[in-house]
Amino acid sequence: MASLDQLKGTFFDECSEALQQIELGLSDLREGAASDDTINAVFRSVHSVKGGAGIFGFDDLVKFAHVFETVLDAMRSGKLASSQDIVDTLLQANDVLSDLIGMSRSGETIPAEYGSECRASLERILQANLGDEGWSDGGAAAPADFEGLDFVPVPIEDLAAADEQPAEQEYRIVFRPNADLLKKANEPLYILRELRKLGTLELKAETERLALLPDLEPDRPYLGWTGTLRSMAPLPQIEEVFEFVLDDCELVIEAVATAGAAWPSDPAPDAVIADMTQAAGDIATPVAAMPESTTNSPPLAPSLEAETPEAGSQPRSAPTKASASGATTTRVELEKIDRVVNMVGELVIAQAMLGQVVHALPEDISGRLVQVLEEVVHHTRELKDSVMSMRAQQVSAVFQRMPRLVRELAGKTGKKARLEMVGENTEVDRSIIERLGDPLTHIIRNAVDHGIEKPDVRAAAGKPEEGTVRLAAEHRGGRIVIEVSDDGAGINPERVLKKARDRGLVSGDASLTEDEINNLIFLPGFSTAESVSDISGRGVGMDVVRRNIQDLGGRINVKSERGRGMTIQLALPLTLAVMDGMVIRVGRETYVMPMSSIVECLRPPASDIHSLLGTSGMLQLRGNLVPLVHLCQLLDIAGTNAASEERVVIISDAGDGARFGIVVDELCGHQQVVVKSIEESYGSVPGIAGATILGNGRVAFILDIEKLSDLASQNMPNAAAQYAGAAATF
Amino acid sequence: MPAAAILKVLVVDDQNSVRQMTRITLEQIGIRQIHEAENGKQAMDTAALQPLDLIISDYNMPEMDGLALLRAVRGHPAARKVPFILLTGRGDRELVVQAAQAGANNYLIKPFTADILRQKIEQVMGRLS
Repeated sequence: MASLDQLKGTFFDECSEALQQIELGLSDLREGAASDDTINAVFRSVHSVKGGAGIFGFDDLVKFAHVFETVLDAMRSGKLASSQDIVDTLLQANDVLSDLIGMSRSGETIPAEYGSECRASLERILQANLGDEGWSDGGAAAPADFEGLDFVPVPIEDLAAADEQPAEQEYRIVFRPNADLLKKANEPLYILRELRKLGTLELKAETERLALLPDLEPDRPYLGWTGTLRSMAPLPQIEEVFEFVLDDCELVIEAVATAGAAWPSDPAPDAVIADMTQAAGDIATPVAAMPESTTNSPPLAPSLEAETPEAGSQPRSAPTKASASGATTTRVELEKIDRVVNMVGELVIAQAMLGQVVHALPEDISGRLVQVLEEVVHHTRELKDSVMSMRAQQVSAVFQRMPRLVRELAGKTGKKARLEMVGENTEVDRSIIERLGDPLTHIIRNAVDHGIEKPDVRAAAGKPEEGTVRLAAEHRGGRIVIEVSDDGAGINPERVLKKARDRGLVSGDASLTEDEINNLIFLPGFSTAESVSDISGRGVGMDVVRRNIQDLGGRINVKSERGRGMTIQLALPLTLAVMDGMVIRVGRETYVMPMSSIVECLRPPASDIHSLLGTSGMLQLRGNLVPLVHLCQLLDIAGTNAASEERVVIISDAGDGARFGIVVDELCGHQQVVVKSIEESYGSVPGIAGATILGNGRVAFILDIEKLSDLASQNMPNAAAQYAGAAATF
Repeated sequence: MPAAAILKVLVVDDQNSVRQMTRITLEQIGIRQIHEAENGKQAMDTAALQPLDLIISDYNMPEMDGLALLRAVRGHPAARKVPFILLTGRGDRELVVQAAQAGANNYLIKPFTADILRQKIEQVMGRLS
């Protein structure tokens, strides 16, 4: 049985969903896109929070939610008309509620006066619009009963007459497929199953037309069915079930007088009908499409409903419209999924080992084995993807905090800004979601604080006074791409370049393209804000944001159009646990490079490599010079053939489109590797992102390309380092 | 005097946490056969499938609220006599009156203790053993 703590956890998870619903509904309300359903849904969500909070004893939460819900209740019953002020107050209330939930969850003591200002605003709204009697603090005390309420239930016998609900109707059904029905790819059994979903179905099979076994034609239906359906569904809905077979059967559906129904009283299967139904399945369904119920399970009961007698008591997967995503979910402890992820990781390793063994076998033996192995590889990959998708979470988990951020910032800076969100349902691994919050917060903060202009400036520039920040997520080529764009002032390239020169980040005479200049904002020690405000200037620059994103194996990019706004694009891997890697050899050492950072591999002739003073060589590649990094020098590995013609150059992308070549001895092949962290045991080792176990059972380090390029520029003499560094950065 | 252990009770609430707490509270007073449904439709499916002894349903649910479920139960030929207790919030006096008119047998204000739950059930079903 679930412990109280687990239940509280469930409750708080429900609260998060509720908060999301509230935020969504209030945003609609603010945009004027709300219907009655919206306010109802918001009310329900707040009410659920209150109800649960009461049960679990979070009294502060109950008190606040009570006032909040009272205002919403007044709105949904039409006693209170919505206005901009009211919606703003409600949005604030949602923020306070969110804080209270957060504090309750973490077990913090909630400050006595927390949210009292917002609460007072809500109470003022109630008093101003409904007078004193519209508002009584019913949430404070917790009476276990209504005083003086004389609860007299109306006897059930008296209810029947006043019954407003559509009563269950009994229909007589006759369904006799014609000869062609099966040939047109229709299946009577499926139709009957659809019918069964509408209510209680009792049918008898007509076996008169059944041919003798030698004369049976498998594509001809011989059975017909007659019986009754008790259902709340109206006639057209029942007829719809037969929509595609109308011309190919004899069909009667007619309502008959409602009889006093009862539960299926005798659950024992009626042998004849069961057999016939089974026969129908056998005859009508040649081979593959045979439903499992007709093959392995006990005979079907007369009421087909009885096939799954407990169905109603199980959580059904019937989707409820009210949930935002419309999807049904089941909660599984993360730990359990992680265990599966680990196991899949081990499986990937074992499969790589198997691959090595198989490939070492003589070809005449390995031939068939290779085929089977390929199947295994294929399934392992799918298994991995499925498990990863289980760990995946919608980015809305991070996005949902952002509207509030934009609201608060706009308020503080005296600007008008709204947040538009696209693709909140895009999924990415939890571990990435968890580490996405800070960088995104920072970027959005920048967009509002530095990007969006003050209303008067915007008006003068012919833009709407209210600025828009757009937060969009989508899957693109095996990665998730998140874009934050604003329609603000954009980056001022001259100012950025001047700052960069002043700070010695770029040499005075370097000529840079506008894109290269824009990307300077990611350099450490760069901050463009003329005055450091208390909002953006917290000592955390865009370089930290870039660091965070790179630590996740992602890339960050900026595009700006002066006066029109800017876009910051993050491209992130979908998971951190398994990645595509290129296994490489240098001397006797084996390493893995992330495929995502490899642009191309080549074996250049010596004539294309130029030694430039102070560099470890430049490769002439299609008219460009690409700085080279010798892995053997960088990692101090002896016995390499780095000087020979056999060496391989891997052109890598360290992010931001910067290219450099890594010189290695040999490419050993591409494989999926399971990333194992080494940080816990060894701390952070520069240039090494983690470790993995290869197919031969050996441990190999996974290289951190970005840091390698940094290392390379540090190791080189100054002048060249600046050149290579600049080339690597832009 | 109905024996608590043989009573079949259906708990309806869209919030899993509330369902579980209600289940725990029911178990505290000796009720063992507890079915759950997270919405009115599921509840009707369960009620139509087997004889229940009691339905305890929340009011506040999406799509089909507790009152609508109550009316559907009372309109269902097989389930119409099943006792029904409506779960409500503290301020919903009016709702309780409506529930009585629609044929609810009792009501229960959240949050509730095991004692109150037992008391309310006993008012409907007689003393539990």
